[in-house]
Amino acid sequence: MSQRLQQRLRHLEAEERQALSLYLMAGYPTIEATVQIIPLLEQAGVDFVELGIPFSDPIADGPVIQMAANQALQNGVTVQRVLEMVATIRQRHSIPILLMGYTNPVYQFGMERFVRTCQDLQVDGIILPDLPLEESLHYLPFFQKHQLDFIHLIAPNTPDSRIQLIDRHTTAFIYCTAYTGVTGKDHRLTPEGEQFFRRLNRLVTHPVMIGFGVKTHQDFQYYGQFARGVIIGTAFLKFLANLDPAAYATAIPAFVRSIRKGENSPEGK
Amino acid sequence: MSRPSAPPHPSSPIDQWPDARGYFGEFGGQFVPEILRPALTELETTFNRLRTDPDFEQEFRQELRTYAGRPTPLYFARNLTRYYGKARIYLKREDLLHTGAHKINNTIGQILLARAMGKQRIIAETGAGQHGVATATVAARFGMDCCIYMGAEDMERQFPNVQRMRMLGAKVRAVHSGTRTLKDATSEALRDWLTHVATTHYIIGSVVGPHPFPLIVRYFQKVIGEEVQEQLKALGHPSPSFLIACVGGGSNAMGLFYPFLSSPDVQMIGVEAGGLGVHTPHHAATLSRGRPGIFHGMKTYLLQTADGQIQLPHSISAGLDYPGVGPEHSFLKEQKRVTYTQVTDQEALQAAFRLARLEGIIPALESAHALAYLDRLLPTTHPDQIVVVNLSGRGDKDMSTYIQYLENQGGEKAP
Repeated sequence: MSQRLQQRLRHLEAEERQALSLYLMAGYPTIEATVQIIPLLEQAGVDFVELGIPFSDPIADGPVIQMAANQALQNGVTVQRVLEMVATIRQRHSIPILLMGYTNPVYQFGMERFVRTCQDLQVDGIILPDLPLEESLHYLPFFQKHQLDFIHLIAPNTPDSRIQLIDRHTTAFIYCTAYTGVTGKDHRLTPEGEQFFRRLNRLVTHPVMIGFGVKTHQDFQYYGQFARGVIIGTAFLKFLANLDPAAYATAIPAFVRSIRKGENSPEGK
Repeated sequence: MSRPSAPPHPSSPIDQWPDARGYFGEFGGQFVPEILRPALTELETTFNRLRTDPDFEQEFRQELRTYAGRPTPLYFARNLTRYYGKARIYLKREDLLHTGAHKINNTIGQILLARAMGKQRIIAETGAGQHGVATATVAARFGMDCCIYMGAEDMERQFPNVQRMRMLGAKVRAVHSGTRTLKDATSEALRDWLTHVATTHYIIGSVVGPHPFPLIVRYFQKVIGEEVQEQLKALGHPSPSFLIACVGGGSNAMGLFYPFLSSPDVQMIGVEAGGLGVHTPHHAATLSRGRPGIFHGMKTYLLQTADGQIQLPHSISAGLDYPGVGPEHSFLKEQKRVTYTQVTDQEALQAAFRLARLEGIIPALESAHALAYLDRLLPTTHPDQIVVVNLSGRGDKDMSTYIQYLENQGGEKAP
């Protein structure tokens, strides 16, 4: 497991502070932008980032992340290029980074080679939504050996016994989707959903992060009642889509503040 | 790290797969987001319960007989046999089924499963529109809501089938993402299922996707091969020498091959879409030209880039235009039990016209790929051998492609 990620999660718990994590697609809108944005997120106090590895057929993603993946692929992003971006960022920045993508590009790169390279580059964790627990079991020893966290997902329709099973295989945190569906939908938690999240905290021993459809300060506060923190992806990519790179240095910290504190967001809203 | 139960021994009989984890050797599995897991478990439990339930079996057989039109004839193609002057050629006439292709075998079986699970809504992907029509048909018959995902390009190519689905009361959703063909329609159907998983059953149209779909679709399609066994026996032939079927996802091939897998004297050939030629980038010959990867819930052969991005397949036939293939076919290829080859768009078109002119049967473009392979196989055969070709569908939906070909060839005389 990643020491840095562990430490971050422990601090958050000790400070009783809610975690904010942002997702961005590597190479979207450009490769240069990614290398520029992550340090800004670090400075703005984002707790960790998910960096997306683009895939041609992202079945768990809505239109915004699909579009970002297409753009990244057109920009020539490969698994190798994503790792190079991480290497560049890691020269000066230590914010925890989790790589998130679909299994096939990583499988073609070679799972063990990928995990080894991630360790060398001080990547902290990997999220592969189409590699569920049973299919991941074969690879988990590599992750342990190379001190990398494999983040398992659960959903509001995951049975309790299975949540506990997944919890036993968890090393850092559990990624729980706010609803059953693809990323980036408009969603409001139902009474049944609330019950699920309240129950969840009694079922697991590891921290939970909630993602999918989390967009605003209100969402951040709302889901924060049930979890260690939230992950925001689609809303951040939408924000980036309309943003002039010259404005990154001011607009991105303002976006982070708008989520954390509810201050008015800059353009893009 | 316990497994549900021990997998079969690597030397298990070839027809005893998949194992408890849904693997055929190293292929198959369940590579899906956690959200789908409960639905797949429910589906597997329901299927395992019903497959041993005599009432279910009886209802399935009855629907096949009285609604779909089974058994289909095994037709001796006398003129085609005479044309080659070698082995005797039989056609398994799946084209005569209700809705015009073998797809209805699977949709009847799966809608019975959906009903048993209490699902009210059915979704499906379709390429050529045959599976979409077969799904819309059974959804109408069993009174369920139906939504079909179809690539925008395929909707143009197969417009009559779009109209049929709409007349049957299904919604047809055009998919504009990616290549606007079958792969994108499948991705979009999976996204719908992720969103409506509690109320909806996804009727996958081929032996593809996560476990238990490859097993379930094979189970409902194996009636094709079982009938061929009985029909040949009735004709006094102990076993065929060759079975030929086209392979896109591979359901009609699996249905024909499966009952024969453990008969070593039966040779089987799966014919993929060679498109403009496998030495160009424009083909859908997944098993011949692809390599193993993970896509649409399964580990199987895929057409992909070095970086693992899924490639754009090409075939004149919308039903074969898919960059993956059923995991059991990947297994049978590696086991060398089935030979996989490919024919080009051009060869398939010629074979379609040959069948039309010699036997008075207009085949689907997909099935024409299987027929085209006769050109290569028949010269190597003997008159005392039997070749069975799965004529998986009829060609009504392909008339615009055929007419265009005819016009390009210069009118009625050609080819």
